[in-house]
Amino acid sequence: MGLRIAIDTGGTFTDVVAIDEADGSRYALKTPSTPADPSIGLLDGVRKAAEAAEQGEGAVARLLHGSTTATNAVLQHQFDGLGLIVTEGFRHVIEIARQSVPDGYGNSFFWVKPPRLVPLHLVREVKGRMTHRGEELEPLDEQALVEAAGELARRGVRCIAVCFLHAYANDDHERRAGDLIARHHPELFVSLSSVVLPEYREYERAMTTLIDVLVKPYCQTYLRTAAERIGAGEGGAPFLIMQSNGGVVRHATAGERPVTMLLSGPAAGVLGAVHMARLAGFEDVLTLDVGGTSTDISLVEGLKPQLTSQSLVEHYPVKTPMLDIATVGAGGGSLAWIDDYGALKVGPESAGADPGPICYGRGGTRPTVTDAALVLGRLPGQLIGGELALDAGAARDAFARLGARFDLSPEETAAGVFEIAAANQVHGIRQVTTSRGREPGRYVLAAFGGAGGMFAAEVAAFLAIGRILSPPDPGNLSAFGLHVSDIKRDYVRTLVRQQANADAGEIDGAWQELERIGKAEVMAEGVAAERIRLRRSADVRYVGEGHEVPVEIPPGTEGVAAVETMWSAFHRVHFDAFGFDYEGRQDVEAVNLRVQVTGQVDRPAAHEVAQGGAAAPVSSRPVYWRESGWVDCPIFRREDLGAGERLDGPLIVEEYGSTVVVPAGWGLACDRYGNLVMEKAR
Amino acid sequence: MTKMDKAGLGPIELEVIAGAVRSAELEIEAAVERTARSPMIRDQHDYRVALFDAKGRKLTGRSYSALVEPVFEYFGADDINEGDVFFWNDPYNSAGGIGHVPDLCTTIPVFHEGRLVGFSQVFGHHDDVGGSVPGSLPVHATDMWSEGLVVPPIKLYERGVLNKAAYAIIGRNSRLADHLEGDIDAEIGAARLGSSRVVAMAERYGADVLEAAFDAIVENCAETLRRELLPKIADGVYHWEDYIENDGVDAPRLHALRLTMTKTPEKITLDFSGTDPETKGPINWPIDYSEGRFVRKWMAPVLRSLADTPERAAEIDMNEGVLDVIDVVFPGKGTLVTPTFGRPTGMRFFILLRALGVFAACLSKATGGRMPADHETIRIWGLHGNAADGDFYLFREVLGGGGPGRPWADGSDVVHIVPNSRNLPAEFSETRYPIRIERLGLNQDSGGAGYRRGGLGYDKRVRVLEASTLLSNADRAMLNTYGVNGGGPGAPYAISVEDPAGDVREVAGMADGIEVKAGSVVRIVTTGGGGWGDALRREPALVCRDVESGLVSADAARERYGVVLACEDGAWRVDGAATRNLRAGMAARRGPLPLFDRGPYFEARKAEGGIAWPEGWQDPDAAWRAEPVEATMDAAE
Repeated sequence: MGLRIAIDTGGTFTDVVAIDEADGSRYALKTPSTPADPSIGLLDGVRKAAEAAEQGEGAVARLLHGSTTATNAVLQHQFDGLGLIVTEGFRHVIEIARQSVPDGYGNSFFWVKPPRLVPLHLVREVKGRMTHRGEELEPLDEQALVEAAGELARRGVRCIAVCFLHAYANDDHERRAGDLIARHHPELFVSLSSVVLPEYREYERAMTTLIDVLVKPYCQTYLRTAAERIGAGEGGAPFLIMQSNGGVVRHATAGERPVTMLLSGPAAGVLGAVHMARLAGFEDVLTLDVGGTSTDISLVEGLKPQLTSQSLVEHYPVKTPMLDIATVGAGGGSLAWIDDYGALKVGPESAGADPGPICYGRGGTRPTVTDAALVLGRLPGQLIGGELALDAGAARDAFARLGARFDLSPEETAAGVFEIAAANQVHGIRQVTTSRGREPGRYVLAAFGGAGGMFAAEVAAFLAIGRILSPPDPGNLSAFGLHVSDIKRDYVRTLVRQQANADAGEIDGAWQELERIGKAEVMAEGVAAERIRLRRSADVRYVGEGHEVPVEIPPGTEGVAAVETMWSAFHRVHFDAFGFDYEGRQDVEAVNLRVQVTGQVDRPAAHEVAQGGAAAPVSSRPVYWRESGWVDCPIFRREDLGAGERLDGPLIVEEYGSTVVVPAGWGLACDRYGNLVMEKAR
Repeated sequence: MTKMDKAGLGPIELEVIAGAVRSAELEIEAAVERTARSPMIRDQHDYRVALFDAKGRKLTGRSYSALVEPVFEYFGADDINEGDVFFWNDPYNSAGGIGHVPDLCTTIPVFHEGRLVGFSQVFGHHDDVGGSVPGSLPVHATDMWSEGLVVPPIKLYERGVLNKAAYAIIGRNSRLADHLEGDIDAEIGAARLGSSRVVAMAERYGADVLEAAFDAIVENCAETLRRELLPKIADGVYHWEDYIENDGVDAPRLHALRLTMTKTPEKITLDFSGTDPETKGPINWPIDYSEGRFVRKWMAPVLRSLADTPERAAEIDMNEGVLDVIDVVFPGKGTLVTPTFGRPTGMRFFILLRALGVFAACLSKATGGRMPADHETIRIWGLHGNAADGDFYLFREVLGGGGPGRPWADGSDVVHIVPNSRNLPAEFSETRYPIRIERLGLNQDSGGAGYRRGGLGYDKRVRVLEASTLLSNADRAMLNTYGVNGGGPGAPYAISVEDPAGDVREVAGMADGIEVKAGSVVRIVTTGGGGWGDALRREPALVCRDVESGLVSADAARERYGVVLACEDGAWRVDGAATRNLRAGMAARRGPLPLFDRGPYFEARKAEGGIAWPEGWQDPDAAWRAEPVEATMDAAE
């Protein structure tokens, strides 16, 4: 028995949640992030968690870690030292991209293509050609390959991505290339497209492979250093790293294919929300993770987070499977401002952590949404357990100045800023739900992150959402989510086959091969065979269409029966996604076969709160609403709310790092797990 | 704005409603893409959406759209009811809003508590609406009826009840009825979604506040143009013209689109008088309706290139407010832009793009050359035939071209004007069609030389594995894309076939029915963008980088840019002294740089007297000289 420590490293703060395996007791704390050497912040987190639990660092039984390290490496545009080797004739593949110009019609006049990851002079072509069926048309020119790698190395390239045409169908040339480069230039980092993403579409595969090798040196070094300093990993406690697919893997595995760590930041929060929604008895959830600068949104149906393979990191496609999370530039730190034409705007620029909102008194001079919340009485006069006193006077002065332009009072202005910020989140949510053909009203809004509880009711009103879930300790839900993450790896292979003339045995065989590899690799993660779950799925489309939809094969359907299920289930999935199908009228085509391998970890026991029912407010204060003006609202402390508690708004619930605002017309109930569920009165 | 105006509109309501309109535009687009069926809509993104107020004024601003005026023209105020769906594609009865028959337009009125508060609209380019050829874009059409089914403005739904007869007739006239009906249903669904967003805002803030907000949204656009963009344009009268090369019926010749732009402190007037006569073939564009509202809104976004930064340009919404600052004048009936009823219009996209180009060129004259150069971004080529298994296949690709050089950046390579339109991956094409992509590349030296170089076009080579038939619909196959402010021209489009014996055959830009033997290689070279500014002023390090990358040849570096490079062990470096000498010599030998460079084909035609101007017109290029690069760059800072 020991301590499980989950550490979620953000841009400013590192959140830590430790759980004692012996008695289930929990410890949550924050420590500053250390971007220059993130392993220092990680180590601080471990030490503080052990201290909080009054245990030695040797008591660490498992270390779970989510980090923005990989994403930052891309965002910082440190593309030096990157090279690319492609099939002859395709040297311009990443220059051409998909010929797309984003946004509005006619933007091609002024839009400037963002810098490519690799300048053309560091892209080399090599002879050797496969067909889409994986037959060799022309052998690999091995000598040219070695020369190309050598020349790139001489020009300062340290990381090489290899992407040959149709390598997803036959990886012989790429594997040979990998071997040759390793032999002649063992100092180079190499990623092969057939390993990173064995899927068709050469541009996206090349980009994903480039991003993988781009972050490889940094991620491998960071993870190795961290493991050494903490004594975790090989021989020590398992050191598990969050991936963007919502699962964890051992740190050594993560370093081998670090592209899977990209955009993993918000994934753990979604898992934490799903875990608490399950306990609260909800199935379909819209998660709203409101941070300082942005809000992360995802749609969860049947308690299953959705995966996407359409993600972008900035302008660059990354096609590995990720939890489908959209980000809007609206959070607690978003700035309120007046544009050149006199319009009142909120965000996307944020005050960030430094200087932060005016009320933090750290030099911020421009009003933020957090300042608005304080002016409106929705935030208490001090934050984070009383450590940070807020300057309400300065915030009010700022809104008085802002409002003077419109002849509005400080509180009217602040309420307006709050409403605009909520509307901005609503627009982001609408893009997510509409592009998936969903109506948000039928979902439960799971609001978390530091500012989630403050916004939820305002956002719900726009979307006609009637129920809101505020999980316990919402500011630390991401770190908590690491504790409920399984080991998870995704395997894919492109195999384009049409139903009319497909060989079911061939498709099943390809799936079996993925399963065999996946099972072996997940067992190597230290997972016992009986804890492994295999899940087949496929990307399928109508012949002639450019869009595939993911078809999941239910567990228990195996062998060629799974192939039959894939063909028959596709039409329903297509209808669900697009509102129509061509069942019986158009031939169907499988494109990518996928297997997700899960190694189930034992969850920490659910933490229950005491029976409640008679909570008394600790105080009251006037709170401003646009509809009703100032209203005296009772203030409750979250730890005073027990199971079975029922209250009616308007009221405010305060806790460490977070505030839940319950307007008039909403009821509040607390369940035995400490979930607060707000329900709108009919 | 003060606290509240008469209707109760304050800054908060306005910002939330303006955000909701922007968000709704994106949502309608997402709904179209999710549920439409034609690949032209789903993959090439060839559709437009919009919200309008109750007067039919366009509120959304990311993209152009069709118009609501046909509803008012064909139906009385008491004949516009909740649950109606208006529908049309008639190029001569759509107030100028629909240019060719594959674009079927769906418009629904939006009601709140019985009061008309707006309209929601979607039109898309559909796969097939009948006519003489599959795809409904016959290159050789000589009238509108051979291009497909023509629907004048009708109610497809009346108070929520489908007009089954009309729906059946429309479906029956398509070779792909399933696709067409699915598209129409999708477009109606998406328009209804947009309607519900407008209704939600009316419910939240009231219809009076909503209408006041719509007024403000339109006025803000006009105000942005007046304050931010118009002051950058010198008052005066400016002429320019450009040409479409081939109408698909007559022998290729230059069909001129002529524009006179008059700029005053408050207004821009665009006068198309002098434009060449209408053609037998389908390059006509009927826009002389409804005070030219369509074409005024179509042209206005060109002004965004005058914004302080490209980021700011992308932010500026272009809605009905542009009508306050842009007027239009048309010549009498019978020209390319005022064709007589029934003339074919299917290939009108060439003249649409030329119109943007002539406006940009007039603006270049009025801004000391600060506008982007020319680019040509749409053309279609394809192959069809029977695959080894006997099945008919049609491989059709819309390929972009090099973007324009502009003061702030080189042109982007191979871009497409339609947002988010995508090319076909080689790994997809090879799986689906009997072809092999042997080169997916950029065409070296195709970008016009300049202080800021034009973007490169494609150089794509496709081996045809089965005997096949080739088609090409492309303009700018003879003329270059023009360079601006001393920049050089971009290379034109070209398509050729090398048969297995090694014989190369050039194919015209507008062609179909070209037989191609198995084993042949088709080479498609698309246009480069025009260059911007004096190429001799381009930073030698950038020229060196372009040569090292292979985008520019060492010969072109020397001949067009006056940059002398040396290569040692694969690494290029600038020979500074030789470059200074060479550039000084080149600068001394050449005359003053022209404001526009239309390229060698045009110059040759002009020299042989092949370019003629109508009465009252003169050579619009004559005497217009480039400004020194510094003048523009200083002004920008």
